[in-house]
Amino acid sequence: MHISDGVLPVSVSLGGYAVSVALAAWSARRTTSVQLPKVAVVTSAFFVASLVHIPLGPTSAHLLLPGLAGALLGPVAFIAIGLGLLLQCLLFQFGGLTALGANALMMGLPAIACGWLFQALKGNTHLRHAVAGAAAGATGTAMAAVFLAGFLAAGGEDFFGVAKIAMAAHVPVIVIEGAISAFTIGFLFRVKPELLETGLVTPKKEIHG
Amino acid sequence: MAETIHHIPLWYLPLLVILPIAALWAGVTGLRKTARKKTAADRDPDWSVPPLADQSQSGSFLHKWDVRCKIVTIVVFSFVVASLGHLAAALAAVALSLSVAVMIKVPAARLMLRLLALAGFLGMLLVVMPFTVPVHPGDTLVVFGGVEWLTLNFRGLLLASTIAARAVAIAMLMEPLLSTAPLPVTLHGLCRLGVPEMAAQMVLLSNRYVHVFSHEARRMSAGMQVRGFRKRTDTATLRTVANFLGMLFVRSFERTERVFDAMRARGYQDRFPEPVNLRLCASDLLICLAWLAAAAALVVWDRIIL
Repeated sequence: MHISDGVLPVSVSLGGYAVSVALAAWSARRTTSVQLPKVAVVTSAFFVASLVHIPLGPTSAHLLLPGLAGALLGPVAFIAIGLGLLLQCLLFQFGGLTALGANALMMGLPAIACGWLFQALKGNTHLRHAVAGAAAGATGTAMAAVFLAGFLAAGGEDFFGVAKIAMAAHVPVIVIEGAISAFTIGFLFRVKPELLETGLVTPKKEIHG
Repeated sequence: MAETIHHIPLWYLPLLVILPIAALWAGVTGLRKTARKKTAADRDPDWSVPPLADQSQSGSFLHKWDVRCKIVTIVVFSFVVASLGHLAAALAAVALSLSVAVMIKVPAARLMLRLLALAGFLGMLLVVMPFTVPVHPGDTLVVFGGVEWLTLNFRGLLLASTIAARAVAIAMLMEPLLSTAPLPVTLHGLCRLGVPEMAAQMVLLSNRYVHVFSHEARRMSAGMQVRGFRKRTDTATLRTVANFLGMLFVRSFERTERVFDAMRARGYQDRFPEPVNLRLCASDLLICLAWLAAAAALVVWDRIIL
């Protein structure tokens, strides 16, 4: 779930912008600038993936995928997520213009953390990859929920109730996200394991021209 | 000053709370369906063409306005709107945004689709906040049939409505901001305002490929449906959807490599050609000033008079 316009105090949304821009610059420095167009194209794939709805009893939930993005892209995931949110703003207007910085932090920081978590946990076997994927997926969503609650609570004690309910609403999504990430990582391990080794966007090195 | 408490019987609860929520929910779902149908019909069925550059109604002042002025003005105005504290001021901002949208003849269905995207989050606030805000002195409370934990606080309702009005006012400006110029021109304007050129290129590329990949995803899910796959709440569905995502990533990552190679083969060197030559004239600044004056008036009204 993304924060919409008009919810956050202006100081929080401006602060969110400042921190996001700094993190995006740091994230961009982790790869060669020639490779950034690749990040853009990969972002569109994640964007399309995040539109998939999973049925959940009478309703359905759409995937957030910060964990998976972190696992596959590494630190560049922050840029990818910021870009994805900007696209969402362009195409659908979920999570509006003024809340963009806060939303990028809410999804991007968990992605970076999950990238590290995934790299630390994944071993050499199929099972360990799947477990690491599950951990990354579930942690990513859980962290995003905590950030969401934190941002909402920044509005004052009037928002504490909303923050609690928003957190509770994320619990089933955390389970689904963990399972989906585990299965997806397992699939990629069997089908195209080199994606999990270095990711698509390689860190700074020479490219053959 | 103590809070005002009204006691009403419990059977009012469905009448006053659950019925409006159900009606709202049904209305939103219905409208979303019709709006989606309408926008899908008048759009080119080929999704690889980004729909943002709408040339059909070019002629309004927003189409001719310098794109840099437009971006600065609308962004500043959005932040001003986000800082408004009173419902009346926020509603005035909604009226202003709506009049701009009407002036440039935004198709109603597209505007509706943007607003409906907000409905989930704002609906949650509107339902949750009246029951959860802490009671302050001077609040008006409604207690349903003596059930203490189910207390409706009018201050929460007012707060949630103010938030909703601010969100709607900003959301309605997105169409004037984005669809009155082709996306490359808007992004060029952003670059001239100091945004790194690479960022603009990335937006352009990913906007292009979102449509390509969603086309691909749709073909894959059509294939799955033909083979008898139906979504249910079970692990088999999760596993299948995960394989679907994995396949989408494999295909799109391979495509990414090919796209990137093709770009480099055509001599791509971190730059796209400039789409337009921007020139600022007095009328651009005049519109900018008029709009920002309206924003300042709103702030004055919100902070000092109300």
